[in-house]
Amino acid sequence: MVVRDDYGDTVAIGSVRPDRIVSLNPATTAMLFAMGDGARVVGRTRWDTYPPGVRSVTDVGDGLRPNVEAVLAQRPDLVVLYASSDDRAAAEAFRRAGVATVSVRVDRVGDLARTLHLLGLVVGDSIGAAAVADSVLATIAGVRRSTAGLDPVTIVWQVDESPFRVIGGGSYLSELIADAGGRNLYADLADPSPQVSIEDVLSRDPDAVLTSPALARTMRSDPSWRKWLQDSHHRVVVPDTSLVGMPSVRMGEATVQLAALLHPARAR
Amino acid sequence: MRVRFWIAALVALGIAAVLAVALGPVALSPAEVWSAIVGRGDPTVSAIVLTVRLPRVALAACVGAALGMSGAAMQGTLRNALAEPYLLGVSGGAAVGAVIGVALRASVGFGIPLAAFAGAAVATGVVLGVARAAGGGRADVRLLLMGGVVVGAFANAVIMVAYAVAPPETVRGALWWMMGSVDAADWRRVGWLALYALVGGGVLLAWARDIDALALGDEGAAALGVDVERAARRAFLAAALLAAATVAAAGLVGFVGLIVPHIVRRAGLRQHRPLIIGAAIVGSTLVVAADLVARIARPPAELPLGAVTALLGVPFFLWQLRRLAAQ
Repeated sequence: MVVRDDYGDTVAIGSVRPDRIVSLNPATTAMLFAMGDGARVVGRTRWDTYPPGVRSVTDVGDGLRPNVEAVLAQRPDLVVLYASSDDRAAAEAFRRAGVATVSVRVDRVGDLARTLHLLGLVVGDSIGAAAVADSVLATIAGVRRSTAGLDPVTIVWQVDESPFRVIGGGSYLSELIADAGGRNLYADLADPSPQVSIEDVLSRDPDAVLTSPALARTMRSDPSWRKWLQDSHHRVVVPDTSLVGMPSVRMGEATVQLAALLHPARAR
Repeated sequence: MRVRFWIAALVALGIAAVLAVALGPVALSPAEVWSAIVGRGDPTVSAIVLTVRLPRVALAACVGAALGMSGAAMQGTLRNALAEPYLLGVSGGAAVGAVIGVALRASVGFGIPLAAFAGAAVATGVVLGVARAAGGGRADVRLLLMGGVVVGAFANAVIMVAYAVAPPETVRGALWWMMGSVDAADWRRVGWLALYALVGGGVLLAWARDIDALALGDEGAAALGVDVERAARRAFLAAALLAAATVAAAGLVGFVGLIVPHIVRRAGLRQHRPLIIGAAIVGSTLVVAADLVARIARPPAELPLGAVTALLGVPFFLWQLRRLAAQ
C-alpha cells in the first residue's frame, strides 16, 4: 500500500515497521509521543520541549533546513519533515540516502486529524493515532459547545514586537480563539502571522490583547498602549506559552485555557 | 617556483578535499569513510559519505573554481587588484535575479541561473556605466568599487523587500541566498555548475591573451591591436556569468574572487592563462576549506558559508587597500 504526503511524494506503508524515527517538527514529535510511540523516536529538533521526556532524545539541530548528515547519523528508518519549501532539498536528500521520508504540513486544527491518520499509517499505529485525534477534537468541540451562547470577547493576539506581528486568520490559534468564545479582530487576514501597525491595532479597539509574558511587560511600559490600558474594560491576557505554542496534541487543553481566560466568570 | 606552485596548489586542494570528506558533524573513522567510497561498509555511513559529503565537497569546489576564475578575469580586465564579483555588485544583482527566478518557480539547472545572469548583467551595466560617466569616460577604480558596493546594498534591499512582501512559500529561502551555503548539494546541481564553470572558464582562457593586453592599459592594449572596449566588455560578461552561476547554486559567497588571484600572482603567475587556471584550483581549495569550517565549527548547526569567507576576506581587503594606498 502507498500513500501520498503533503509534498505529493509517495510513502510505502506496511512493508517494514519503522523503529528509528527522527521527527523534525515539534508538532509531529508530540503526536508520536501522545500515540505512545515515543520510544521509537531517536532524533528531534533543538526546539522540542513537549512532552518533558523528549529532552532525553538526541537533538539533531534545526527542523527547517535540517543538517542531513546529523539526522542520518541517528540511523533512522523514517524521517518526518515539515512540508515547507525550505525542506524540499532535505526530503530529496533523505530519499537518496535510502531513508523513508514523510513530509506533513501541520498548520491548522483541521491538519491534526489528517496528520495523525498519515502518521498512524506510516508508523503502523493507526489505533493510537485515532485515539489522540478523537480526544483532542472532542475536547475542542466540548469547549465550543460551552461557549456557544456567550458574547464573544474581541481580541488581538500579539506574537512579535519588532516588527509588530499578530495572529491572523491563517493560524490555528485564530480557530482556537473562536472555539473558546473569542473573536480575533485579524481573522480577516489570511496570513498566519501578518505584520500590522500598532495604530491599526488600537483603531480596532480589542477587549483583550493576548501576548507572551515578555511582550506583556514591554507593553505595560510602552506609551502607545497607555490610553488603551487605562480603560478598565481592557485586559492583557497571557496564555501559557507551552500550551498554545504548536498546532499539536495540546490544542484541546489550550482551548480550555483560552476559554477560561476569555470568560473568567464562566470558568469552573 | 612555478612548478612548486602547481604542486603545492594541487596538494593543498587534495588535502582540503580529503579532510572535507573525512570530517563533518558526525565523527567517522578514515577506514569507515574509505569503505563507503569503495562501495562496501555500513549503509548509514555510505549514505553520509556518498549522498551528503561528496556532492557537497564537489559543489564547494565548483563554486570556488568559478569565483576564483571570475575574480582573476575581473581584476585583469579592470586593472584593479580589488575587483571581484561580490564587491562590484555583480553577485548582488545575480542574487536579485535568482530570487525573482525562485519566485517564478524557474528550474534549478537553467531558469534560475539565467535569471541570476540577467541580474548580474544589469548590475554590471549600472556599475560600469555610472563609474564611466562619473569618471569622464574612464572607469576609475574607486568609483567602480563605490558603485559596486552601493549596487550591492540596493540588491540587498530589493531582496529584503521581496522577503517582506512575497507569500512565505515562494521566497522563504531568500535570506539563504544572502548568506551563501552549499548545503543543498546534489550531483545534478554539481553537474550543471561544473558545466557553467567549464564553459565560462574555457571562454576566459580563450580570451586570456586579450585580458593580458588589457592588463597593460588601454593604450598598450590598443597598440597590440586589441579592440579594448569590446574585449573588456565580453571578458567581463563571461566573468559575470561565472559569478552568477555560483550565486544560483550557492547564494552569495563573497571575497573568494578577491583573495584567490592575489595568492596565485604571489607565486609569480602574471599571464592570465595560467593565472585563471591557478585561480580555479586555489579557489576550489579555499571554498572547500571554508565550507568544512562552516560545517564543523558548531555542529549540528552550520555557519553561513558567505560569513566564513567574509571573515577571511574583509581583513584581506583592508590590508590590500592599505598596500594600494601606500603605493
